[in-house]
Amino acid sequence: MKQKDIVIAGYAETPVLYKSGRSAYDFAGEALDSLLERTGIDKDLIDGLSVTTALSEASNPFYAVYMCEALGLTPTWLNLGGMGGCSATGGVARAMSAIRDGSCEIALVLSADAPSTDWRANYGAFRGEFQDPPGVQGPPATFGLLMSRYAHQYDLKPEALGKIAITQREHALHNPNALSKFKKPLSMDDYLASRVIADPLRLLDSVMFCDGANAFLVMSEKRAEQLGLTRVAYPVAYAEVTNVNGNQSTPDITESGFDRIGPALLRKAGLTPSEIRMFQPYDDFTIAILMQLEAFGFCAKGEASDFVLRTDLSHRGALPLNTGGGQISAGQPGLASGGLNLAEAVRQLFGEGGATQVDDARNALVTGIGVIPYARNWGTSSAMILEA
Amino acid sequence: MDSKPMQRPTPRANAYVDTQPFWEATRDGRLMMQYCTEAQRFQHYPRPVSIFTGRRTLEWRPVKGDGVIYACTVVRIPGPGLDGRLPLCVATVELDEGVRLIANIVDCEPQELAIGKPVHLVWDALSDGQPYPAFALTRA
Repeated sequence: MKQKDIVIAGYAETPVLYKSGRSAYDFAGEALDSLLERTGIDKDLIDGLSVTTALSEASNPFYAVYMCEALGLTPTWLNLGGMGGCSATGGVARAMSAIRDGSCEIALVLSADAPSTDWRANYGAFRGEFQDPPGVQGPPATFGLLMSRYAHQYDLKPEALGKIAITQREHALHNPNALSKFKKPLSMDDYLASRVIADPLRLLDSVMFCDGANAFLVMSEKRAEQLGLTRVAYPVAYAEVTNVNGNQSTPDITESGFDRIGPALLRKAGLTPSEIRMFQPYDDFTIAILMQLEAFGFCAKGEASDFVLRTDLSHRGALPLNTGGGQISAGQPGLASGGLNLAEAVRQLFGEGGATQVDDARNALVTGIGVIPYARNWGTSSAMILEA
Repeated sequence: MDSKPMQRPTPRANAYVDTQPFWEATRDGRLMMQYCTEAQRFQHYPRPVSIFTGRRTLEWRPVKGDGVIYACTVVRIPGPGLDGRLPLCVATVELDEGVRLIANIVDCEPQELAIGKPVHLVWDALSDGQPYPAFALTRA
């Protein structure tokens, strides 16, 4: 079932900055420059490009083509990823298909965004009439609703969410790209004293919108060998689903897309949850991590709080969690967010994890979450298993 | 002259699909929702097709406005349209007709807000007086 013919043969990531005053294009350029420096490949070998839609450039319908012009690329395969935080892993998966189809040979999967500098998105649709008037405009309110329902149906222990926030913060202290504001340790007292912003959601359960970019080079294993690129990661399984339970008016909103795709993804990779060496889940809010731990079978439904409290989630532990600090402690670079978790997984699989390097880093589970919907679970769930 | 934008402007109707029946009925104090005549179920928010059949097998029907709180939160941080409204009680209300909507729970203290509590339809007003559906706790 699992194919090991395509690799991620390079990655780059810019520091995460708040109100940088710079554009997504400029961050993209910094990421490309760094990627070319690290891999030593000629820019003109890149013949495929997947770009993630950016909140800061959302008013431009031709963003992907503008990006080609900005970077001087001439791709024969171009993809614009509109699944928010799923666009990086989804972009890699689509690039793999394109390479297998012969549409391109070397694809750049690029995500850059600068919403803390310039927010130019307008979701339109039903929101003006049905979501804005009750005051549910931002993600915290929607996740407050989701979290309240989880706490009603299952056991939600604030100390478990606190442990996630503290563990990830410890990891962020060693991440040179993490937002400088977050470079100080957290205690459980800090977490429990953190302001409630949308009950029961605390400020320290949440991400902060920042600016930044990340980039990945995708090609066949053979091509990587020809180019002398010896550090590679193999994406061996990928799955995504959008608008889970979308044909129901009263679904269980604690059921996410990961409940649908998680078990089959592990089967495709031939792995059990206990064989997953590190978990780099999309972390816009801590509750999303609890729900994902259950969906992938690290523990039973409703038991994630106890699982977190009894499991060492540090980089030395049984299940290393977001070893770069995740988005919550490194900062969320807008819709380039999903690439942050993916970059950390690839860094670890390359053995470049530095102070938070996981021993025996043979595989990683990475996820993405995209789009906050109306009275439902989140919009898109994507998951990828990579092997060293 | 007060140059501050209106707190809760009345949105433009029909921006997305035909929502005229919803807005017209608010003036008579009735809450209308889309109903799929094929699946015989309600859906909300309004869509261009039935989410059950993918066809335009839709009509507008009134709902009674009784239900329970399915999920709830208290918004405590500022945002657009929230000046002077914090803390704001918000709920996903599940109506007896088997459909949910996001609405404010009015005349409710944050500590009173809880999942499972029965609620009933009341009418709130947007900045220019336009009626807008909200809910209140149904007290025994």
